[in-house]
Amino acid sequence: MAIMRAVLCSLCAVPAPAAPCLLRAWQLGAGVIRTLCTGLALLSVCKFIEKHEWITTENGIGTVGISNFAQEALGDVVYCSLLEVGTKLNKQDEFGALESVKAASELYSPLSGEVPEINEALAENPGLVNKFYYEDGCGSCL
Amino acid sequence: MQQPALRLVRLGRDRWLRRLQPEPCTEGGALLLCEPAGPVYTTGLRGGLTPEETARLWALGAEVRVTGRGGLATFHGPGQLLCHPVLDLRRFGLRLRMHVAALEACAVRLCELQGLQGARARPPPYTGVWLDERKICAIGVRCGRHITSHGLALNCSTDLTWFEHIVPCGLVGTGVTSLSKELQRHITVDEVMPPFLVAFKEIYKCTLISEDSPS
Repeated sequence: MAIMRAVLCSLCAVPAPAAPCLLRAWQLGAGVIRTLCTGLALLSVCKFIEKHEWITTENGIGTVGISNFAQEALGDVVYCSLLEVGTKLNKQDEFGALESVKAASELYSPLSGEVPEINEALAENPGLVNKFYYEDGCGSCL
Repeated sequence: MQQPALRLVRLGRDRWLRRLQPEPCTEGGALLLCEPAGPVYTTGLRGGLTPEETARLWALGAEVRVTGRGGLATFHGPGQLLCHPVLDLRRFGLRLRMHVAALEACAVRLCELQGLQGARARPPPYTGVWLDERKICAIGVRCGRHITSHGLALNCSTDLTWFEHIVPCGLVGTGVTSLSKELQRHITVDEVMPPFLVAFKEIYKCTLISEDSPS
């Protein structure tokens, strides 16, 4: 079973004592399922933040997305707005918002860093957020 | 378990306008109520008005405000009941979609209590409460850190001609209506407020603590 991820954006940590990792971009093209078929040694930690936003780190690079719980709670996502590339964030800063029709939800950064890349596909096709999400029990891989 | 309680806060239009800011609301536990004294158009997170449309609305004498709520453009004015629950979803055991559905249920219930049958909520993109193809209650909410803001706008005796200057909620070809139009008598916000609050308490399973605010 492939792990599917709804990548919202990546965070690149600026050198700061509080930032535990460096971050790398990981883009999800529209309609493409990106599988994590790496060995467990390379597959790094996936942390869920209060069941809403998650972050994975790999080789010190982090990627942020929302969970199945969150995308189900939202309903069909019709709009996704994210910060511009290069923005520096502190942990818990708002980094964007999603809208399922008539309900806008803010998104908060799980750590401090700088945004090197955002998933441009989401601006064109916000419904991707519903289609790709982390399955429960993240970290499994076939 | 004790029911959650919300402070009941009645706002004048100016105080309500100040609370439309797109900044996240960090307080929880209030039910904001307002009947705007003058015309206001608002847009949502996705926008909803072009600069040209905005200028036309200003020329009509209306305020135009950008908000961070869901939904597109809509109108608020005298004769309309605005209800913005500012609450912690966790405290109420609600998911965001359930909160939207609960707001719709409040409007449907209020219509029934006023003797108006046939009001119903419709699925996206027609979120809101309708009589056939005419919308009687618009919904648009925002949620940050589990705290909700914005809410519903129910037309009691709203001058519906104000809606002709926009495409309400971006839904081309649909109409708007009010309790007064449907029931063919003048129905004020003051008249519907008590049954509306009864419906709200039933649906949200909460108590309301009165705390009137001066305009």
